[in-house]
Amino acid sequence: MSEKNLLKGNIAIAKAALNCGCSCYFGYPITPQTDIGEYLSLEMQKRNLAYVCAESEIGAINMALGAASSGEKVMTSSSSCAVALMQETLSYASSDELPVVLVNVMRAGPGQGYIFPSQGDYNQATIGGGNGDYKIIVLSPSSVQECIDLTYKSFYLAQKYRNPTILLVDGLLGQMAEPAIINENPYPDVDNSSWRLDGAKNRASRNIHSLEPNQTKLNQHVVKLYQKYQEIEKNEQVWEEYLCDDAEIILTAFGTMARSVKAVCNHFRQLGIKMGVFRPISLYPFPYNRLRELSIKAKCFIDIEMNMGQMLKDVRLGVLSNAHISFIGKPVGDWLKKEEIINAINNIIKEQYASI
Amino acid sequence: MIKNFIISGSGGQGILSIGTVLANIFMLSNKFVTYCPCYGAEMRGGSVHCEVNMSDDELLTLQNEKADFVIALNQTAFDKFISKVKEGGTIIVNSSMAKIEKTRNDIKYIFAPFTQEALKLGNIKIANSIALGVLVKLLDNLTMENVKKAYEKILKNKKELIQKNVEAYLLGYNYIQEKEYA
Repeated sequence: MSEKNLLKGNIAIAKAALNCGCSCYFGYPITPQTDIGEYLSLEMQKRNLAYVCAESEIGAINMALGAASSGEKVMTSSSSCAVALMQETLSYASSDELPVVLVNVMRAGPGQGYIFPSQGDYNQATIGGGNGDYKIIVLSPSSVQECIDLTYKSFYLAQKYRNPTILLVDGLLGQMAEPAIINENPYPDVDNSSWRLDGAKNRASRNIHSLEPNQTKLNQHVVKLYQKYQEIEKNEQVWEEYLCDDAEIILTAFGTMARSVKAVCNHFRQLGIKMGVFRPISLYPFPYNRLRELSIKAKCFIDIEMNMGQMLKDVRLGVLSNAHISFIGKPVGDWLKKEEIINAINNIIKEQYASI
Repeated sequence: MIKNFIISGSGGQGILSIGTVLANIFMLSNKFVTYCPCYGAEMRGGSVHCEVNMSDDELLTLQNEKADFVIALNQTAFDKFISKVKEGGTIIVNSSMAKIEKTRNDIKYIFAPFTQEALKLGNIKIANSIALGVLVKLLDNLTMENVKKAYEKILKNKKELIQKNVEAYLLGYNYIQEKEYA
């Protein structure tokens, strides 16, 4: 169990899901996440668990919603343009308060785009395209080991808060392999006997639905959801800091982009520049509080993403208003190289000093 | 120390297989390692390559501009990746399927007829392991024990192939004399 193995991100997610008790998987193949379904199609059959290759992504997410309402631990996985199809059901699952776990291994958009790696779904995941006041917990791994750890966490948070959770994975990470350990699931099981639909034998009947024609009740329901989101925002902000304590310049990045960004930070540290890296791990709830604290000392923030600046707005919301914020990004394809980032930062620093 | 590798050729030549074997050898030698296959709408006969990055410390960069070592198992791969070799780096070329031609003088070239050598061993599919042997010879501190373990991990469902591949690997490992390379 605790042996180190060379694992692909996708396979690591699938193994971790089984390891923490995922009992139902519904999915439809799409690059770059097809390995997840392929692996589970064999393994779930062996374990006599429910695996359905759905007729479409819309089918898959709605099957997940149905199974979740009966108290099963469910997962579906897909990629960008197909996750777009699932937005309606994510809104429903949020209103129904169903613990659906969705893995989005991102490809490039918009529209059909192509299978190139990209981080273009930050907005899709954190803001979402469904209707109404709802929020979805979003976690973003930067290594294969974190794919495992955050899969466990996704299932746990989904159950704990009765809320859909998205594991937002870079296409690069899904396909990439590195040594990782399938450790034990560290989270406790959450009792769902008070709400799951498992037959009304010896108890009053229940139902789960999002339709609410009574105005007062719908108001109460949305307010109740919002109180839950506030609770999530209070408890579940997770991030990683790298050399931030004395940093005057802080680089922000999420997912695998943060790895190259740390190498960039090392480069500038060697030149005597006080630089640090801040990596949000929970994209919702975004770690605004810590970012605000850091901006008391750091007056320059540079956000680096494989998109045109989606997390940038959250960085802007987080830091104090007198900080200077810049952006380095590229929408699609090969990850920004260390040298490219260093050059771009040098230009930003030059402009900054020129303006003083 | 960080070292980057690109292994390239065409679909069916076992490019990704020796990429994972190499990555496993590094893992078993307690190095930090990442393995990235190119992924796309590839098919048998199409171009395939993968990147392996190895480091003594936590590996920080993923997709790198250039590699210290490149293996090219056919002409297309040779043409495509010759520019990706770092200054002072090495390219290992399958001369059975690529012309012996040195267009750069800032890198080292190793040409060897991997396909012909594999045919001599009775299996064209193990040309990749011969090339891997040549590569590992150029690296420090990797033990034969870990190489065998890596093959056993990758080929655990095809046990009969382990011996054949290790044999091919050893042929490659002993193919180039050190003075010849320097």
